[in-house]
Amino acid sequence: MIIVTGASRGLGKAITERLIERSEKVVGLSRSINDLHIEGIECDVSNYLSVKSAAREIKRMKMPVKAFINAAGIASMNLAITTDKSTVQNLIQTNLVGTIYCCQLFAPIMLRQKYGSFINFSTIAVALALKGESVYAASKAGVETFSRTFAREMADFNVRVNCIAPGPIKTDLLKGITDSQIKNITSQQIVPKQYQKSDICDLVELLIDEKASSLSGQVLNVGGV
Amino acid sequence: MKYNKASEIVITTISNLLAGKVEVKEEMSLIGSESLLDSMKLVELCIALEDIADEYDFEFDWTSEEAMSKSRSMFRSVAALAEEFKKQSEA
Repeated sequence: MIIVTGASRGLGKAITERLIERSEKVVGLSRSINDLHIEGIECDVSNYLSVKSAAREIKRMKMPVKAFINAAGIASMNLAITTDKSTVQNLIQTNLVGTIYCCQLFAPIMLRQKYGSFINFSTIAVALALKGESVYAASKAGVETFSRTFAREMADFNVRVNCIAPGPIKTDLLKGITDSQIKNITSQQIVPKQYQKSDICDLVELLIDEKASSLSGQVLNVGGV
Repeated sequence: MKYNKASEIVITTISNLLAGKVEVKEEMSLIGSESLLDSMKLVELCIALEDIADEYDFEFDWTSEEAMSKSRSMFRSVAALAEEFKKQSEA
């Protein structure tokens, strides 16, 4: 079984669909499961008890968990000085704290199996220090450092932890971003092009594959930095 | 579950993890510099106790705040862990 958070839309939905194409059993975690076309569990990743309850439900299924994909996330593109308090708190709580909650509460399932893979999501805005994304990038920088450190803690149990850091991918998170702003970002990548959701799905497939067994604690910057 | 049973389970489980190389006593610490177990063994202990709890038809939760706090932690000693195991069996 593969668990995907934020499975009802955006990257999470695209990843879920790709995995189903591969005949994987996928369970989606989402704040609302009404829009899910797969087995789902209602879960707000920013809420510890909600994540704990979802982990308990998965454990009761008594099925091996091959991978956990932390795709739930929110974005807000603003200068730090024009970002209000609640937006700051929501970004950190959902992107960083939500990822930590999911990793720490689902890890015991993989520790028991002595295998598994976590895939967390950062952004290329961390490596590029993109203007206008300071709070969002800070929340994701936390995810990167958490992932690298958590990878060491999991390594003894044959559990891998990696991070994908996409550039501007066409999802709802990019609402309000103009084409010229996107071009400005992609021009700073080593490969200066805008990638698609399918490219991210390819990386997910790679990371969950046994052929990636030597990769842990890595941040894959899409397009390169 | 009576305390003596919980204590017996905890001591036997730790002793098995340490391959019987150490005589496990109730006052021994499970966290900190004098811990009997390294972090990997501690996780293995928790997973083993989870499995045993399943056999006794209760859920052993080792992810609570109490579990990891140094002062109140259930891992501060073998006896404290046995007490917590007993308590959770009665919940």
